Amino acid sequence: MTPVVSTTGLTRRYRGQLALDRVSFDVEDGSITGLLGSNGAGKTTLLRIIAGQEFPSAGQVRVFGASPAENEQVLRRMALVREDQTYPDFRVRHAVRAASWFYPNWSGELAGALLADFGLPLGRRISKLSRGMRSALGIVIGLAARAELTMFDEPYAGLDAVARQMFYDRLLADYAEHPRTVLLSTHLIDEAAGLLERVVVIDRGRVALEAAADDLRGSVTSVSGPAMAVKEFTAGRPVWERRQLASQESVMMVGVLDDADHARARALHLSLEPLTLQQVVVHAAGTTAAGLEERTSV
Amino acid sequence: MLDAGTPLFAQIAERLADEIADGALAEGERVPSSNELAAFYRINPATAAKGIGILTDDGLLEKRRGIGMFVAPGARQRLLGERRRRFAERYIEPLVAEATRLGIGTGELITLIHESSHAQGGVTT
Amino acid sequence: MSTSVNVARYHVVDRGGVAATSWGVLTFTFAVNLVIFSLIPVGNGGGYAHGRYSGALASLYIMFCVIGAIAIFRSLPFGLTLGASRRSYYTGTAFLAVTLSAVYGLALTAMQAIERATGGWGVAMHFFVVPYILAGPWYLTWLTSFVGLTMLFVYGMWYGIVYRRWNLAGVLTFCAAQVTVLLAGALVITWTHAWPAVGRFFTGLSAAGLTGLLAALTAALLAGGYSTVRRATV
Repeated sequence: MTPVVSTTGLTRRYRGQLALDRVSFDVEDGSITGLLGSNGAGKTTLLRIIAGQEFPSAGQVRVFGASPAENEQVLRRMALVREDQTYPDFRVRHAVRAASWFYPNWSGELAGALLADFGLPLGRRISKLSRGMRSALGIVIGLAARAELTMFDEPYAGLDAVARQMFYDRLLADYAEHPRTVLLSTHLIDEAAGLLERVVVIDRGRVALEAAADDLRGSVTSVSGPAMAVKEFTAGRPVWERRQLASQESVMMVGVLDDADHARARALHLSLEPLTLQQVVVHAAGTTAAGLEERTSV
Repeated sequence: MLDAGTPLFAQIAERLADEIADGALAEGERVPSSNELAAFYRINPATAAKGIGILTDDGLLEKRRGIGMFVAPGARQRLLGERRRRFAERYIEPLVAEATRLGIGTGELITLIHESSHAQGGVTT
Repeated sequence: MSTSVNVARYHVVDRGGVAATSWGVLTFTFAVNLVIFSLIPVGNGGGYAHGRYSGALASLYIMFCVIGAIAIFRSLPFGLTLGASRRSYYTGTAFLAVTLSAVYGLALTAMQAIERATGGWGVAMHFFVVPYILAGPWYLTWLTSFVGLTMLFVYGMWYGIVYRRWNLAGVLTFCAAQVTVLLAGALVITWTHAWPAVGRFFTGLSAAGLTGLLAALTAALLAGGYSTVRRATV
């Protein structure tokens, strides 16, 4: 099956600065993929190129098997919700009405429900909306579009925790009823972690990690206890980080542990603490890309 | 609700298995769909489906076309049997290991178990 | 094609935003001129036939240029987000320019007829009649207004594109380039001693001929804008 999004060697330079450096990854049909990484890692540039709003300096991007640039057959099947979207001098209702003309799968019913959920005043000028309300407007349009490929780029600037939870819940509910491919760029990894089926970690313009989210949970374990025992337990296994305090040592060990490992750890009086998705991602972004991908693939 | 350091699909399977073992989900009863589980736990529906899939592969759940997933006959007995088999490995071994570390002898350990059991009003001999 | 039509609708989704600004400006300048003309006594030989011209009709044309620029630099990002290609966005916006200009041309023609019938709104003011260029029969008034409005809208669009791609520095360069081209043209004419010929060409040119010239220029502007928009990013 052709992936919905496929990039090969995608590179984007701005005045000598590399915003994207040979980015290659695929997004499969009907999944929610998290595009993770710190601010300025290149996530927005990547999404803009996928949406045909920006052009790559080198490499290529395929969406639904074709180049998205100036290709309406492709463009009309996707939606990008941008954090920094600029709108014409519209009121809320104008933006929603215009969106309803362009997206072939648009649901007016869903749009109405979401506008009410987020308490967006239809008659208010978009330029007069608070930052959170502007974000909410983007979310409403992005969800109601029901585009086959829906991309959210940090969609919740200015939204409080309650509104963000509402976004996750509405996204999940509508995704369950109307499956589509979702690319969600975020740096709030802990919050969104449960939603994600796959993750792509971008660090300084490069793909640092690409994996199934559940494969990463528990793929790295923090092993701590007497230094001698820790050394014995982790001998010959890949580790990320060693920290030592007097006779105690703490190590992050890569690899899934089986029952025998747990028994051995007990015998050695070691404590094991699996890393969360966020912890794995943060460390992955700080480690060199290529080696890690090999180590964590199961 | 779920532990962030363990694969979510495994936790979903574990929770459903617990409910079957407890009898909260009786044999022949319908189990929540992957979408219902996804909405409840706020996780990806595919992850929930994978959790259900593990129990289906084990024969603990069975699919009825067009209706949903149901607890298979004999599922509870099989789960309890399996858990009994793993009881020693999961609970006794770490217990003994820690007791040894603290210098608690076998006789003393058995006395402690008797006391605890009595206090909980549980298993009596 | 359908996307282009949607883009044209997109620009006027707020129903009357464009109409309100353009007619608002025109009504205001008209009212100001009316007051001024009623204060100045009609001179010797007086009457409507002997011209007292306002020239303030230009405000509408300038508005069209501004609206054209806004239609790109302000509205393009959301338009592309909605899935329009730059090509469709450009053709849709140009389609809007043509439609608006045709309708506005009709309105101007009607106003000109009223102006003639009322002897210059009762104060001998030529507002909708402009000597030489907008002084002919009604159909020529319509055609010239139509072409002129379209040209300024499209010209504004090009400024909008240049601003989106190269910001203020780009707009300044763009202006400088146009001035340079005009200067170069003037120099060439001077060197070839062709000024008398140029003068003869323009004095011999009828209003209809001028309209044709403007139409050709509009087509050139359209092509220029189109070639620039294709690499615009948002």
